[in-house]
Amino acid sequence: MTDPDAALLDELRDMWAAHDPPPVGLAATMVAAVATADLDHEWEMLVLVRDSVDQPAAPVRGLASARMLLFTAAEGWSLDAELDDGQVRGQLLDFDGDMGSVEVTLETPAGATWTTRLDEVGFFAIRGQPTGLFRFTVRHAGTVASSRWVEA
Amino acid sequence: MGTMVAMSEDRRAEGQPDQSPWDMASGAFTAWRAGDASAVDELVAAMTPVLWHVVRAYGHDRQSAEDVIQATWLGFVRRHETIDDPQAVASWLITSARRGAAAHARTARRTSPVQDEVLHAVLPDADSAEQVAVLDDEASRLWRAVASVDERCRRLLRVVAFLDRPDYRSLSRDLDMPVGSIGPTRARCLAKVRTALAEAGGR
Repeated sequence: MTDPDAALLDELRDMWAAHDPPPVGLAATMVAAVATADLDHEWEMLVLVRDSVDQPAAPVRGLASARMLLFTAAEGWSLDAELDDGQVRGQLLDFDGDMGSVEVTLETPAGATWTTRLDEVGFFAIRGQPTGLFRFTVRHAGTVASSRWVEA
Repeated sequence: MGTMVAMSEDRRAEGQPDQSPWDMASGAFTAWRAGDASAVDELVAAMTPVLWHVVRAYGHDRQSAEDVIQATWLGFVRRHETIDDPQAVASWLITSARRGAAAHARTARRTSPVQDEVLHAVLPDADSAEQVAVLDDEASRLWRAVASVDERCRRLLRVVAFLDRPDYRSLSRDLDMPVGSIGPTRARCLAKVRTALAEAGGR
């Protein structure tokens, strides 16, 4: 594009921006729409409430090399996970439904997944430890809850 | 010194005006994916004005434009995982908004194929004469010049003006123009605007 063309295009952009601007409050309406869509959608978020990398090293012997994560879901249950030595172990806590129907998946943005089921008291173990970003997804009775991406 | 500090604080408070909406979008998207839940608000706030201009380029009234933009954001919530490269988020949103706007235009034509619709499509999509009259002289000349060029040119220019890196392949599909002709078409459309300005005694 020649410079005069680029300059005229800039002028046109300024003209449209100045004389047909978005309605006041449009961006706020869209922010609210996105926030509500997140809730309406079958995807419920697992909210990360504790990450041991943000805390002083655990004083308990044996956990020095482990990373602990705790997520809660709006439904009231939570997911506790420990990443250690090529393995992810954890437990679903305060879960009222059928433990046998629950699937826990560890995912990476590149599409790698590790999926497992819970034992009768809610424990799970996944062999494999992600590097980079990962998240947990919990499926049960047709609902899906995913955590935000967490850096390994 | 005190003034300088105050100025730099003001710039932050205004959302870093030096940063383009596209850069803000990719930064916010990256932060959101990394777990910063509030970053999605920043992304929506940065890109909604850009989407407004893209959708309005298709001649939609304000309410329809808002509907198309909202549908774009809801689609983003459902399908954001398909966006591999954070740098591509702005162009993904713009492409999605353009498709929504084009589809909405087709539906509108099917539901009310009356003369008014045809007229609406060829008339400048916005302001009344009274509104144009309050623009300053230069802006008013530019506005009239743009209004005098054909609808395809006006749409192409408005979309391209708000694109960071024009995605000519999908643009050509939406605007029904061969890929190779968009660059030259843009140049011809700008030339038409220039001619209209000259005829109006502008420059």
